[in-house]
Amino acid sequence: MVTRGHARLLVAPGLLLVAGVFLAPFLLLVAMSFWSQPEGTLLIDPTPTLENYRRIFSDDYYLRGLGRTLWLSLATVVISLVLGFPVAFWIVRRAGRFRRLVTALVLLPMVCGALLPTLGLVNILSPLGLINGTLKALGLIDRSIPLLGTQAGILIGLVQAFLPLMVLPLVAVLDRLPPSFEEAAMSLGARPSQVWRRVVFPLSAPGVLAGSTLVFCAALTSFVTPQILGQGKIATFAAMTWQQASLVLDWPFAAALAMVMLGLIAVLGGLLVALRRRAGGRA
Amino acid sequence: MRRSLLAGFTCLVVLFIIAPLLVLAFSSFDDGKFFRFPPRELSLRWYRAAFASAEYRSSLVNSAVVGALATTISVVLGTTAAVGLHRGMLKSRAALEMILLAPLTLPLVIWAIALLQIYSWLGIGGTLPGLLLAHATFTLPFSVRIMLASLASIDPGLELAARSLGAKPARASVRITLPLALPGVATSAALSFFISFNDVIVSTFIAGSSWMTFPVRLYSQLRGQGIDPTTLAIGTMIIVSILVAVVLTEVISKRALRT
Repeated sequence: MVTRGHARLLVAPGLLLVAGVFLAPFLLLVAMSFWSQPEGTLLIDPTPTLENYRRIFSDDYYLRGLGRTLWLSLATVVISLVLGFPVAFWIVRRAGRFRRLVTALVLLPMVCGALLPTLGLVNILSPLGLINGTLKALGLIDRSIPLLGTQAGILIGLVQAFLPLMVLPLVAVLDRLPPSFEEAAMSLGARPSQVWRRVVFPLSAPGVLAGSTLVFCAALTSFVTPQILGQGKIATFAAMTWQQASLVLDWPFAAALAMVMLGLIAVLGGLLVALRRRAGGRA
Repeated sequence: MRRSLLAGFTCLVVLFIIAPLLVLAFSSFDDGKFFRFPPRELSLRWYRAAFASAEYRSSLVNSAVVGALATTISVVLGTTAAVGLHRGMLKSRAALEMILLAPLTLPLVIWAIALLQIYSWLGIGGTLPGLLLAHATFTLPFSVRIMLASLASIDPGLELAARSLGAKPARASVRITLPLALPGVATSAALSFFISFNDVIVSTFIAGSSWMTFPVRLYSQLRGQGIDPTTLAIGTMIIVSILVAVVLTEVISKRALRT
């Protein structure tokens, strides 16, 4: 048996790594966002100022970018839920021996990182790509439909990238929902649509909330997919942040942009906790 | 009827999820400089180009080195932490677990921006140690999670039985628990390696010209010049190696179950 002292020693190195390299930088980020970088220099002035935040919330460019990003993220959540729920249900209730295979296929793009699927998506969406080529060969269109460089193209990429994040928590929650619940409702005379509305959906609400949060946060902070599929024409908030950090090299301003995203995520997290408390209180 | 509808819908959605990878693989055989569908001619031209290209090779080697070293750290620290959490009966287990899994829940982009500043103070921006530290950190939670699940699935009675038959505690651990935990170790290693190898989100902030990884290179190229078909061939080979790794870990876990 491992004693408690030994256990602490075993956990310590990993804990130090995460606390030191991952969590501590978030504290620095807060401070950084109140620093400034005089224009034209790369020197940082650590006198606290609200200038970065004032700039974000008074500039139309950033506000519109934020609005666009929120709408894209919300749309990604809704589409992922509509596509992901039946898939999760099928995996849990009907997949049988195919379960491992289908789960592996759903997870596969996540292990490939953000870029490889995006490369494939470019060839699907481009003017000569799979979609336009097929439609042209079928004689349905003469001229290519623009998909790259549009919000629709970005949305397709975001859903493709983050759908697995919706499916996983739904699978977890449906796994704990015994099929006998549905059978009981049926035997009591509920129509299939009623079974879904009154039994399956309400009982899988925690999974829906968890999945929606994961997808929303991932879409909100995604910059690789929007940048490549948007062809640099449609700037999302995270892409603006990346640009400030990597091209403009204004790190304090990038930190403030990142803090805005973090703030949104914190607000969302708080809402969720409150929602769960209320649901828990009622049950 | 309803059943087949659901199955059909699931097939379509799964196809949508993996379609980009399928098209990536398919388009790597298109002979043209720009992929067009339907393709005019198929060839292995871009595969020959991939093997001949020295510049891609160096960034791929960088990715592999970072991936292998980060995986080692991730698996060793992840396994020890999981053993401590699983066996230690610590009161603060839930909190410790939450900290260890934090890189999975908080967005990496936001973290990477803070790392930029810290790395520049420490002077490790764009260096191997800098990349390694970051990659070990964001792959660690995968190892912790998998090893926790793996340890939880092992019957503690087996080790007790070995001890009651006279095996010393250390020997019982090494001979009984370790082989049973091996599939978890293999899965953690494979997952950590490929997540590190393919990472662009963190690396694009902290990789430099001296330690350019393949995804960072590909990303800057995609923003500037569009797709070089050679990278389609390389991407396809990466996906194939991921599939091989998945099959291998599956074989290892089947074997572990049998013995």
